[in-house]
Amino acid sequence: MATTETDARAAGLNPSAFSEIMPRLRKPIIVLGLVALWEAWVRLFDVPELLFPAFSDVLVALITGLGIGGEPILWAYTWQTLSVVLQAYVVSVVLAVVLTGFAINSAWGKELLSTVTGIFQPLPSIALLPMAVLWFGFSKESLIFVVVMSMVWPLAASLTVGFATVPPTLLRLGRNYELSRLGAMWHILLPSALPAMIGGLRVGWGFGWRTIVAAELVFGATGNDSGIGWYINNSRVFLQITEGFAGILVVVIIGFITESLFRVIQRFTTHRWGMEAA
Amino acid sequence: MNDILAVRTSESPQRAASPGEANETLLSVRDATIQFPAPKGRKGAVVTAVKNVSIDIRRAEKFVILGPSGCGKSTLLTAMGGFIPLSGGAIELEGRPVRKPSMQTVMVFQDFFQLLPWKTVRANVEFALRQRWPRMPRGERRERAEHFVDLVGLSPQLNQYPHTLSGGQKQRCAIARAFSVSPEVLLMDEPFGALDAINRERMQGELNRIWEEGRPTIVFVTHDVTEAVHLGHRIMVMTEGPGQIRRLLDNPHVGMLPYDTQGQESVAELREMLIPAG
Repeated sequence: MATTETDARAAGLNPSAFSEIMPRLRKPIIVLGLVALWEAWVRLFDVPELLFPAFSDVLVALITGLGIGGEPILWAYTWQTLSVVLQAYVVSVVLAVVLTGFAINSAWGKELLSTVTGIFQPLPSIALLPMAVLWFGFSKESLIFVVVMSMVWPLAASLTVGFATVPPTLLRLGRNYELSRLGAMWHILLPSALPAMIGGLRVGWGFGWRTIVAAELVFGATGNDSGIGWYINNSRVFLQITEGFAGILVVVIIGFITESLFRVIQRFTTHRWGMEAA
Repeated sequence: MNDILAVRTSESPQRAASPGEANETLLSVRDATIQFPAPKGRKGAVVTAVKNVSIDIRRAEKFVILGPSGCGKSTLLTAMGGFIPLSGGAIELEGRPVRKPSMQTVMVFQDFFQLLPWKTVRANVEFALRQRWPRMPRGERRERAEHFVDLVGLSPQLNQYPHTLSGGQKQRCAIARAFSVSPEVLLMDEPFGALDAINRERMQGELNRIWEEGRPTIVFVTHDVTEAVHLGHRIMVMTEGPGQIRRLLDNPHVGMLPYDTQGQESVAELREMLIPAG
């Protein structure tokens, strides 16, 4: 600590301002470094554009795709994918809460849920895609089905842990203040399970997001609309490799944004309440 | 609205009298026996935690149950609160059997997890008030919560979350919450047991002061002899295995200051009683 401050003073910086800003700058600096490395590698070794385009070209393709100096096509693909995931997310959360709600109220329900979770959690739900196509056809429903299957089990598992770790004293408190079953759920169980729940939502979203992109790659278009995964694969087919990279970048950026979103939620809830270390 | 305020400000004629003289039984325990299934052993084997205990708790007294760890005193208190059923005998509050927990008998627990971590000090108290009087106007609820937080000396921490409070402050908040709903009986299960010696002594003095305010009926469980002498108008000594009444005595030294030597004789006498015979 002391050395950092001395270094900072030597560099002519206000030590407190320096030690405050530096940790926040670390990540952007690393990202910039990696991007520079990418650009330099492609330029120096003259890597063919059809194998690995330079970052600057990808960035241009991305900006063009988003509608600045070109057709805003990326938005539609991205939105298509996002809307499938969001719909599946809502279904999964409701399913997980209902399933876990049953599980905590009966021994059979508990065993059933843990067995089913045990069966499906290790199964990459993308493996169910061929069956989903058989049942639902080449439709949005098929995609929603596989995404739900990838999200609901980790969600249910984390909710179960969350409910199981509610402090017994809080349950007694709920009985003491004459909370109804629903009241106890709302005032005691759900808030107590929130750290585990946010963890589950985060993991669930990650699984779902990966699954949908993979499914679109395999699957192609669903009816009239197609998503970002399809766009990436299509770019390869039409040898528009730079556009394909731009599509990959979109997937990465969305993953990054949702991750930050969860962190913001945590900052205003569980971290603030001291239920989880910041 | 006036009724609710009356709870706080005025003292009913019976309450004004010294608790020993009023002699009105509020909570009566008749031949209470509590058994649990033995942890391991033959089918049907039981452990008797409490055996044939009969006591009459009088209105507006501080009644202390004193006994060694594991003597069944907390179990008895939990049964008084309606949290666990009796195996034999009866517990009645103003002549009505206690069957389940209610806001007539509010419990203050030993462990710090009794506060809702996602609610501030004020919100923890308001939560209880909302349960007790759902139709109480918002402003009045606020005012009443602030009054009780002030009573326990926690006003500076009014808007803090529990994880920012010290152990003693957390217990103060729990006490404010319990007092705020004006229960018929306050059940306190070693509330200062997890505090350091200095804080414990301070909280005992504070509890005596707060009690003077509205003279609620308190049943206080402890294994600390000095605490019993500080707090209890009457002290019931329990023996272990199975929990039975050893002695029930009036305590002339209630409210004694820590450095007061007069009560030391009682303390020594009680300590003697707690040493297991043989």
